[in-house]
Amino acid sequence: MNVTAKEPRPSSLLGDLGVPRASAIAGLLIVALALQSTVLSYATILGVIPQVVLVVVMCLAFTDGERVGLVAGFFAGLLQDLQLPAGSIVGLYALVYTLVGYSVGLLRELSPAESVWTPVVTVAAASAVVEGSYATLAILMGQEWVGVVFTTKVIGLVVLYNTLLTPLVFPLVRKVADRFRPERVYRW
Amino acid sequence: MYRRNGRGRVLLLVFISLSIVVITLDFRQGDGGPLQRAKDVSIAVVAPIQRGLTSVFRPVGNFFASVGEMGRLRSENARLKDEIDAMREEVQQAEAQEDQFTSALELLELDEPWTAMETVNASVIGYAPSNYRWARLLDKGSDDGIRKNMAVVNAEGLVGKILSVGKHESVVLLLIDPKAAAGARVEGRRDTGKIQGNGEAEGLSLELIASDSDIAEGDLVVTSGYDAGVFPPGIPIGLVDEVVGDVRRPDQTIVVDPFVDFTALDYVRILLDTGSRVAGDDEATR
Repeated sequence: MNVTAKEPRPSSLLGDLGVPRASAIAGLLIVALALQSTVLSYATILGVIPQVVLVVVMCLAFTDGERVGLVAGFFAGLLQDLQLPAGSIVGLYALVYTLVGYSVGLLRELSPAESVWTPVVTVAAASAVVEGSYATLAILMGQEWVGVVFTTKVIGLVVLYNTLLTPLVFPLVRKVADRFRPERVYRW
Repeated sequence: MYRRNGRGRVLLLVFISLSIVVITLDFRQGDGGPLQRAKDVSIAVVAPIQRGLTSVFRPVGNFFASVGEMGRLRSENARLKDEIDAMREEVQQAEAQEDQFTSALELLELDEPWTAMETVNASVIGYAPSNYRWARLLDKGSDDGIRKNMAVVNAEGLVGKILSVGKHESVVLLLIDPKAAAGARVEGRRDTGKIQGNGEAEGLSLELIASDSDIAEGDLVVTSGYDAGVFPPGIPIGLVDEVVGDVRRPDQTIVVDPFVDFTALDYVRILLDTGSRVAGDDEATR
C-alpha cells in the first residue's frame, strides 16, 4: 500500500489546489477553448476539429488525480457547452467531462511507471469513449444530429488528432500544474 | 485508502448532480433564461482571446497558403487593377440607378429588395468548438447595429442568420447546421418549401410543401421570404444537385449544393433591414 507515496493525503477536499493554482488551471482551460475555436478550427485534419479542452482535462486528471480531474472536467465541459450555439444541450459536455476526469484520475494509479506513453494511450481510449457517449446521449436526448457515418468518421479523426496533440499538451499542463503547486514535494 | 476514494466519490456525485441540474435547467428554460445569460457572458469573455488568436494566426495560415503562388499573384494583381478601374465607372452608374430604383419602390410601397439593404461587414473570429454544430463568431455586435435573426450573406449567397448578439460580437448560425432552416423556393417555378442543413459533409435538403412541376438538376434555389421575415426573398442559396424519388410524392428528397463555401468563410455581410421585422422565434432556438 504505497499509494501514499504517489499522492499523500490532501489537506483539503481538492488536495493541494490553492487559489493561484485553480486560477492557473482555469486560465489554461480558457486558452485551450480559445485555441480549439480558432487556430485548431483552421488547422483541421479532414475538416475535424480536435477536442483540445478534453485533452487538457485528461492531462490534469493524470497529473493531479481524480478529484481535480472531475472538478476541472465539470467546469471545462460547462465552458464548452456555453460556447455552443443554441440547440445544443447545455450541461452534457460538463457531465461527460466530469466522468472522464474522474475515470482518468483513477486509471493513472494503475499505470506502470512515469512515461509519456501512458497518458497518450489513455487519451486515445478515453477520447473514443467521450466522443461516442456524447453523441449517443445527445441523440437520445433529442438533439438534432447529422448522419451516423459522419459521426463515426468524426470520432475516429478526433481520437487520432487528440492523440497526436497529447505529447505536446501533457508536458505543458504538467509544467503549469507543477509551477503553481504550493509545496513541491509531491512528485511522482 | 477507503476514505480517500470515498471522498472522491462524494465529489463525483456532487458534480454529476450539478451537471444534471444544468441539463434540466437547459431543457426547461425559455428564451433568455439564466443559461442564455451565462452563454452571452462566456462568449464575451472568450471572444477577445479568439479575436487576438485569429488576427495573429490567420495571416500566418494565409502566408503559407500563398507563398507558392507569388508569380501568379503578381499578374493577377495587374489584371485586378484594370478591373477595378472599369468597375468604378459601373458603380457610379449603378448608384445613380439605385437611387431612382429606391424612390420608385417607395412610390409603389414595395418591400426593399435585399440587394439594396444597408449592410455591415464582419469578419469571422471563431468557430463553434464542436464537430457537430456549425456556427461562427463575428467581430461585430449590437454596437454596430446587429440584432438577433438578421440575415447573413456573402458574395456567393445565403450564409445563415444571427443567433445571438453581444456588445462587440455576435454568433451566426450557418445554413448547414442541422438546426438551421430557411424558407426557399425554386427559381422560375412556383414551388415553395423549406431548406435545411445536414452538416458540412452533405448538401442541404429541400422539402417542398406542394409541388406539381418537375424539379431538375441545376435549378436555382433562392430564399422565398415566407419564413416570418427572417430572410428577404431572392437570396441565392444553391443549385439542385440531386432529386431522389417522385417529385409529386411527399417522401422525395431534393439535395441542394450551396453556393457558399462554408469551410472557407472569412468575411460576411449582415443585412440590417432584416430580423427586426420578426416578432417571435423560431427554428433555431429551442
